Amino acid sequence: MEVLGDIFNLALIAATLRTTAPILLVALGGTFTTKAGIFNIGLEGQMLIAAFFAVLGSIWTSSAIGGVLIGMMAAMIFAGTFSLLVVTLRANEVVVGLALNILAGGLTISLTKAIFGTRGSIVNPDIVGFAPVNIPIIDDIPGLDRVLSGYTPLVYLAFILVFVVWIIFYRTRLGLHIRVTGEKPEAAEALGINPNTMQHIASLMCGALAGIAGAHLSLGYITMFAENMSAGRGFMAVAVLIFSNGDPVKVLLGCLLFGFSDAMALRLQTFGFPSYLVLTVPYIVTLAALFMLTYRQRPKIIRETLESMSLVRRQEP
Amino acid sequence: MSDHQGFRPTPSFGAPMTNAIEMRGVSKRFGPVIANDDVSFAVKKGEIHAIVGENGAGKTTLMNILFGLYHPDTGEIIINGEKVEVDSPRRAISLGLGMVHQHFKLVPSLTAADNVFLGIEKTRNGLIDHAAQIAQTREFSEKFGLSVDPEAIVANLSVGIEQRIEILKVLVRGAEVVILDEPTAVLTPQESRELFRTLRGFTDQGMTVIFISHHLSEVMAVSDTVTVLRDGKVVGTRPTAELGEDDLVRMMVGRNVSFSRRKRPRTDGERILSLKSIWARDNRGLPALQDVSFDVHGGEIVGIVGVDGNGQTELAEVISGLRHVSHGEIVLHGQKIQDGDPRLVRHAGLAHVPADRLHRGVDKADTISGNILMGRQDEAPWSSRGVINWRYVRERTEELIKRFDIRANGSRTLVKTLSGGNMQKVVLAREFSRAMPFLLVDQPTRGVDIGAMEGIHDEIMRQRNEGAAVLLISVQLDEIMTLADRILVMFAGTIAGEVDADTATEDEIGMLMAGRNLSAAAAPTVNEAS
Amino acid sequence: MSEQSETRELTPAKAPVAMPEWLHSLLGTLLAISIALLGGAVIAIMVGESPFHVFMTLLRGAFGGPDRIAGSLLQSTPIIISGIAACIAFRGGLFNIGVEGQLYMGGFAAAWVGFSFVLPAPLHLTLGIAAAIAAGALWILIPAFFRARYGTNEVVSTILSNYVAILLTSYFTIFVFKRPGGWSETAPISTTAELPQLFEFSRLNWGLFIGVALAVGLHMFLTRTTAGYSMCAMGSNPKFAEYGGVPIRRNVFLILLCSGAVGGLAGGVETLGVHHRFMEGFAPGFGFDGVIAALLANGHPILTIFTALFFGALRAGSLLMEVETNASRELITVVQAFIILAVSAQLLVRRRRDSQAGERRWKY
Repeated sequence: MEVLGDIFNLALIAATLRTTAPILLVALGGTFTTKAGIFNIGLEGQMLIAAFFAVLGSIWTSSAIGGVLIGMMAAMIFAGTFSLLVVTLRANEVVVGLALNILAGGLTISLTKAIFGTRGSIVNPDIVGFAPVNIPIIDDIPGLDRVLSGYTPLVYLAFILVFVVWIIFYRTRLGLHIRVTGEKPEAAEALGINPNTMQHIASLMCGALAGIAGAHLSLGYITMFAENMSAGRGFMAVAVLIFSNGDPVKVLLGCLLFGFSDAMALRLQTFGFPSYLVLTVPYIVTLAALFMLTYRQRPKIIRETLESMSLVRRQEP
Repeated sequence: MSDHQGFRPTPSFGAPMTNAIEMRGVSKRFGPVIANDDVSFAVKKGEIHAIVGENGAGKTTLMNILFGLYHPDTGEIIINGEKVEVDSPRRAISLGLGMVHQHFKLVPSLTAADNVFLGIEKTRNGLIDHAAQIAQTREFSEKFGLSVDPEAIVANLSVGIEQRIEILKVLVRGAEVVILDEPTAVLTPQESRELFRTLRGFTDQGMTVIFISHHLSEVMAVSDTVTVLRDGKVVGTRPTAELGEDDLVRMMVGRNVSFSRRKRPRTDGERILSLKSIWARDNRGLPALQDVSFDVHGGEIVGIVGVDGNGQTELAEVISGLRHVSHGEIVLHGQKIQDGDPRLVRHAGLAHVPADRLHRGVDKADTISGNILMGRQDEAPWSSRGVINWRYVRERTEELIKRFDIRANGSRTLVKTLSGGNMQKVVLAREFSRAMPFLLVDQPTRGVDIGAMEGIHDEIMRQRNEGAAVLLISVQLDEIMTLADRILVMFAGTIAGEVDADTATEDEIGMLMAGRNLSAAAAPTVNEAS
Repeated sequence: MSEQSETRELTPAKAPVAMPEWLHSLLGTLLAISIALLGGAVIAIMVGESPFHVFMTLLRGAFGGPDRIAGSLLQSTPIIISGIAACIAFRGGLFNIGVEGQLYMGGFAAAWVGFSFVLPAPLHLTLGIAAAIAAGALWILIPAFFRARYGTNEVVSTILSNYVAILLTSYFTIFVFKRPGGWSETAPISTTAELPQLFEFSRLNWGLFIGVALAVGLHMFLTRTTAGYSMCAMGSNPKFAEYGGVPIRRNVFLILLCSGAVGGLAGGVETLGVHHRFMEGFAPGFGFDGVIAALLANGHPILTIFTALFFGALRAGSLLMEVETNASRELITVVQAFIILAVSAQLLVRRRRDSQAGERRWKY
């Protein structure tokens, strides 16, 4: 029994890491726009359009990498359009983001019909997906092999990127300038950093990562495209970004929570819970986390106490 | 920075013949407005050069041209004897200029060193070399006597230290000419003195300092040369030693102006507003008001003065119900309002002219009548049974437009098409026409031209004489001296003292503004001790 | 000198007579639609169809005969009502992107009342509608509370609650109230709860008039009443409204609640008037279309009627287009998205950005 329990736990951890990867990738993309001071509700659409073009690219180039690159390009075109409208033309972020999400939904279905003549999904033997990668040394350690080995490359990439993004923000000029643009654009401007340029760059970097996330959806564990297959993960990522304030480490923690709830939901389904109810779990967990954390961050109403008053008074001179 | 070794340390007077900066025939128009009209002046190497003039005389525009933020319509700039084209701040910096703006542009979440090197970060292997930045910031702060902890987070620092960081920013970029725009506006007199000591240190090392000011006493005390601007033109450039303060005033204003106290009948009204031991915190949770108590009676104007940022903003917010009180009691017209929202306070009898008129005072997207309605949308005859009587609103608006001389095409004009002064008049018209027992007037003449200023002062006096209790908050000491019956001086969130407006002198008030108590030496400052 | 005299020039003495707001909106919208149709044409070519053919089929599907026109109006009905729901939030400076979810909850609640109770006709219908309104309001209750009280971003919370609503109603339909022998739909409602149809040949019903009445009512409310004035001031400049004594938090809560209630009503009208039962996925995208229609109309209730009619016609036309051409009906979604992008760039936003709200609110 103990062994069974172990396997159950390890498998759950593995499933969590696997389901965390796509939302982590897109959320890491969103850290760039968040730090640059843009509210990017368009992550969902960037992810979806990338998922579609990754499939297309994979067929065209007969390689998964090619698929990822073309998916990234598609998402970056969306991201560029977003920043062009929002930053240069000063359109409303929410409106443009939503419109691009709608556009991604309509475009992928229209193009599926146009190119494959089908409705709803693309299942095609020519789609080249990623094969799981086994890490030699870890593979020899029982237990650990199940947790750390055997993922597709993009899963590893997602977790490595947490570190990379952290370095970019806190150790490079680019990251510093993006942060300054979001926090105090007039300071950036006064020192010859063009806030608009920084926001464009941030948006494009966001698109690139959202593109990888989308490619992971359609070329990772399943190699197919289905309509609206991003299923709100982009919006969940926005929720994570709101309460993490774009900090990569907090983003990782938030995404792990949702990955875990996703994995739990799938597991519950196998225990016979109705799938419709189980599928609501990740959304409800996200909403609950969003509400709880904004409650915790609420501005506090301070009442002075005798101590606080005399303390303050003593510091005064 | 070793470039400076090349310069001969120069004494303050008898400067060398070369000019660090010369501007010739510079003009700049904004639309039909001439901000600078054929301005010519020269700044000698190694001197402290003050540029003075009234608000709107064109000082800041001129410096922005010099720093490449604006492009002049005509005229030329000569730096170190060479004619140059300053088309961007970047170019200005490469020419050895450095500018400290009036409003600091520091990033609160970063350290002092990060702020100093922002935009010119030191990198190693593509990564920011924080250690080197900290070391160099420390080196500069020691060399120029600007004591700053390079690793401190800017959000936790005082305004005085923030200014030092701004100056360090300029110095590490290799500035030989440092331009400061109203550097003392946010400083206490002590901090100002320290700043000027530092600036004198710069000129001793061969650098040149230009500062903009309208504080005549400090100009007299620290500058070597003064250039006076009036209405966009240069009135003259003179060695400070040859001038008296009176001469300077005459040059600035072009006439003898004295803000004379308004004559007033003595009135003894009942107590309208009473604050008892009020405490409040600012947005960061730090104490902003500490144990503030005072009363305002009907028929008097109580003036609040202080260096900007000593709790005046929070005081106004607390009284108008926009900020929570953390302790204490406020009674307005017999009603306790300390836990109230703006609606309750307004019903209790508040009329409020806010300092931030663009954001608080008006809805720019709405019409004038829509703006006049705000605050009394629930009152008859403005509305009845929840339905607005727009005809009445428009009639009253037309009336107020006339009475307050608002330059607009009728009540349906959108407020965003009005000038700043006329927007302020919309706010004043709305609030002064309410006939409330208590008037909170915050910076009523900020950005308003002199003609309109008189009118606003008349209106405030009229409200007083009709029996209203007026609390007037202003950073303009002369405005307070002209209007107030009693003057309360704020310092560090406390009422540092009260003076009688009839007998008070500027010096007396200045001491209080600096936190030095008249009655007892309760808080000797660090500077004095050393 | 600079400031005062510089701006004095801007006083209206010389300013041209301003174009009425609605005319400005209309011109911008027409331009945007042209741009969008161009975008649609590009997609049509990609699909291998002549844009002209696709466009004519679309037009025929929308307007080719009384039954087609009725079909367009039928499709417009839920969009008008959802559009009004979005308008309410939008004019108060808020976004309710959760209209879709409220519509599902409202639709389901109305159907449940319809098939669960036996009541006389007018009462049953009234109760069904009331249930729809209550369900919509209930569905936005928590996001509204947290937005009002703690400033929790309502855009994200309402979007995410859509997914829950759609899954939840599907669960109830399939696992709890499934019609024996049917496929993912509930039992039909009793005729006493049905919203009367207008014509024999179409399912077009009184819901259309409910929508138009709501729009006119909202317009009157916004322009004539004290509460409407306070609400618009909040949407335009919340700091000013707060200063003027408008209770911001309470209003944020009430505005979102009303918006959600109307969203629920949209679903109730759809089930009681059109389908007479609740079906899984019964109203794909109506709520979103409503939000877009409101955005396109810049939050103006009367203009929203027209933008909603336009989208309804597009939808109706797209059904025929999908049958007769290679293009899928989602082509019109693409066109709608293009319209919004074009409009957002040049018109809508300029006004919103002016306000403090635009800048303050969209930071995390």
